[in-house]
Amino acid sequence: MDFKTLVFYILSAIMVFAALRVITSRNPVHAALFLVLSFVTAGGIWLLLAAEFLAIVLVMVYVGAVMVLFLFVVMMLDINLDRLREGFWSYLPVGALIGILLVVEMALVLGGRYFGLEAMPEPPAVQAGYSNTRELGRLLYTDYVYPFELASLLLLVAMVVAVSLTLRKRKGLRQVNPSDQVAVKRGDRVELVSMPAEKE
Amino acid sequence: MLENYFPVLMFILVGLGFGLVPVILGRLVAPNRPGSEKLSPYECGFEAFEDARMKFDVRYYLIAILFILFDLEIAFLFPWATVFQEFIAAGQVAWFVFGSVMVFIAVLVIGYVVEWKNGALDWE
Amino acid sequence: MNFVVPDFYPAAAEILVAVMALVIMLASTFARRVASDLAYGLTQLTLVFAALVSVLVSPNLLAAVAAVISELPLFGVRLAEVLMSLAEGYAANEVVATFSGMFIGDMLGGLLKVFSLLAVAIALLYGRGYLADRKIDRPEYYLLSLLMSLGMMVMISANHMLSLYMGLEMMSLSLYGMVAFDRESPRATEAAMKYFVLGALASGLLLYGMSMIYGATGSLELSGIAQSIYHQAANKTVLVFGLVFIVAGVAFKLGVVPFHMWVPDVYQGAPTAVTLMISSAPKLAAFAMAMRLLVYGLFELADQWQTMLMFLSVLSIVLGNLAAIAQSNIKRMLAYSGISHMGFVLLGLLAGVVDGDRNFALNAYSSAMFYAVSYVIMSLASFGMVILLSRAGFEAETIDDFKGLNKRNSWFAALMMIVMFSMAGIPFFIGFFAKLSVLQAVVAAGYVWLAVVAVLMSVIGAFYYLRVVKVMYFEEPVDSTPIRAQGEVRFLLSANGLAIAVLGLLPQGLMSLCAYALLASL
Repeated sequence: MDFKTLVFYILSAIMVFAALRVITSRNPVHAALFLVLSFVTAGGIWLLLAAEFLAIVLVMVYVGAVMVLFLFVVMMLDINLDRLREGFWSYLPVGALIGILLVVEMALVLGGRYFGLEAMPEPPAVQAGYSNTRELGRLLYTDYVYPFELASLLLLVAMVVAVSLTLRKRKGLRQVNPSDQVAVKRGDRVELVSMPAEKE
Repeated sequence: MLENYFPVLMFILVGLGFGLVPVILGRLVAPNRPGSEKLSPYECGFEAFEDARMKFDVRYYLIAILFILFDLEIAFLFPWATVFQEFIAAGQVAWFVFGSVMVFIAVLVIGYVVEWKNGALDWE
Repeated sequence: MNFVVPDFYPAAAEILVAVMALVIMLASTFARRVASDLAYGLTQLTLVFAALVSVLVSPNLLAAVAAVISELPLFGVRLAEVLMSLAEGYAANEVVATFSGMFIGDMLGGLLKVFSLLAVAIALLYGRGYLADRKIDRPEYYLLSLLMSLGMMVMISANHMLSLYMGLEMMSLSLYGMVAFDRESPRATEAAMKYFVLGALASGLLLYGMSMIYGATGSLELSGIAQSIYHQAANKTVLVFGLVFIVAGVAFKLGVVPFHMWVPDVYQGAPTAVTLMISSAPKLAAFAMAMRLLVYGLFELADQWQTMLMFLSVLSIVLGNLAAIAQSNIKRMLAYSGISHMGFVLLGLLAGVVDGDRNFALNAYSSAMFYAVSYVIMSLASFGMVILLSRAGFEAETIDDFKGLNKRNSWFAALMMIVMFSMAGIPFFIGFFAKLSVLQAVVAAGYVWLAVVAVLMSVIGAFYYLRVVKVMYFEEPVDSTPIRAQGEVRFLLSANGLAIAVLGLLPQGLMSLCAYALLASL
């Protein structure tokens, strides 16, 4: 076992542990933080596969942004943990059955028989100076331009939905409008009145 | 290739050690005599009367989600920066690539303009 | 770098919709006072124009449409010539692929796009008054419906797992937003939440299946996948494993048992205008997704997926019809009826290949497509009636709200009767011929027991459709408010109801159009 394999197993072990804790921990904030841990280790595994760009994006987008959102949501909701747990035991048999079935199926298919080194050729080793980011760039803006532009529209949909569902205008707030402030002219504020001097 | 990341791995290990070792040392060496008063939450002397976690305003959420969207936009533009020189060297394709990225940006800029105009970025 | 700049012409309709979505977004922001009307008008214009453009860029479809137009009196022949000349100069390939094989332009796609765009336009027209009464006709609604249409078009024309998935997500995200659009209604929010969580789960299943297929075949392009399986380059076990997840994802989007849990709750909780939207065009898009994935990509595995579809369709037809009997809420009832109708669509899809013999395929798939299209027409009319009866502050949600409709307005009662009869499969309405053609395909494929189950369940199902008719004609009205609606809604709803009757008398045109579309595209 070379050093790379060792690192892989350590990272995978941490990731599986963290993922388990996400669903078993009683405190939703802890669960969110364990999710961060599993994302970071997944990023590490991608680095081992020489997919640096994806690893960095995973950390940047998921850990940096999505998890912040998760924490907001967790804090925003008044989660009543006891009520959430109410149906647990009655759903357990069905859920466990499906879960076990899935695990067995996955173990059968994803084991070495079909995806092992005999079935799949080993990918060629990357040369010095290989850059995953550059490879992506070569394809993303040419062959994959159609899904690329669709992605921008998808982000637009998310933006429209987020704004239309959460934006509320509050009435009766006293506030200053900066552009009005800047646009003010002297004449709007100061009035020069010419009047004759008066005697007492 | 991967060797370049060895310092990063070392850095992570050192960082972990730096964080964990004092905690473990403290556990091992320091006297540990917990009591019910010691373990109770402390809030300026009186009894704690609400949960430490409180509801956030929904506006934080809006800001966070808009941040994610533009964060993703930037992620999509990174590879462009690395390969654009190559495209220029290849000739005509460069204009197509430039155009495709500009369309991508334009769509999101329109979204940005609209949300700004609608007041989604105001903090009232 | 051997990259050729793609041909944009086959995707002209998609580009038109995307550009117009941006224009509408800007226009409604800067013309705030008339934003809602402006967005609505522009959206309708865009939908109609996009449908026209979809016809123009599909040579076969154009020829079929021109043939119909040249039959018309007066300027018919002249008009057909003009139409044909518009598309001249463009190589009339039957099937064109562009964007590096991610987009496929064929007649099947063209026809489904035209139908779904028109369905969205009709759904918007029916729903406008409903939204205005509840003060939720904000411009974003129309924008989202346009982006949803774009997602559907992308799905319909997808030749690549990636573009298919992008289209699916664009459609679903817009729909989630539209379901939650009435922020004041806790029920709508709950429905949106359920829809979103289960939809995300289904997308996850679909993606997982896609990655398995990619792992086995090394290709994301559907035609590449088909070739790789044909040359037996891929491992069968892995393929079937991926197939299970793909079928599950498709089944969720179609809303068939056992992936139907979201359907009744979402249909009931969403504002009726949105229910109308969900129950119409997206079903066509889901049908297109099933066609592209299962028939175009995984046709070699037909034996496997046909068995899965058999399981799904029998369960849906049985459960959908039985559960619908117990409903007192008409939106819920129509939801369960929709589940059983989708079961029928699957019946058509599963009769394509018998013992390796593919001669049945064309007939079976065109019957499924005909069923999907007729379901959309009926669904538009039925939810259109629910919208028609509701008004500000009142939802005509229960079957009791239809009591004595005949006394209140006998014309609309008659229309509702036509719709109910057609859904029940009573001759001679379009629903009857849809059921008939599917059953013919199933019997031809040798699954007589399947056809018997389907017929038995349809007879049981007729009970709840006829109950609505009985309530309308033989009971006294509870509420005698006259039915008010704008002229165009009355007109279009009447036309929609009559179309069901007329197409029932003359189903041949639509049927052969579906068959021809598949013949030209497969």
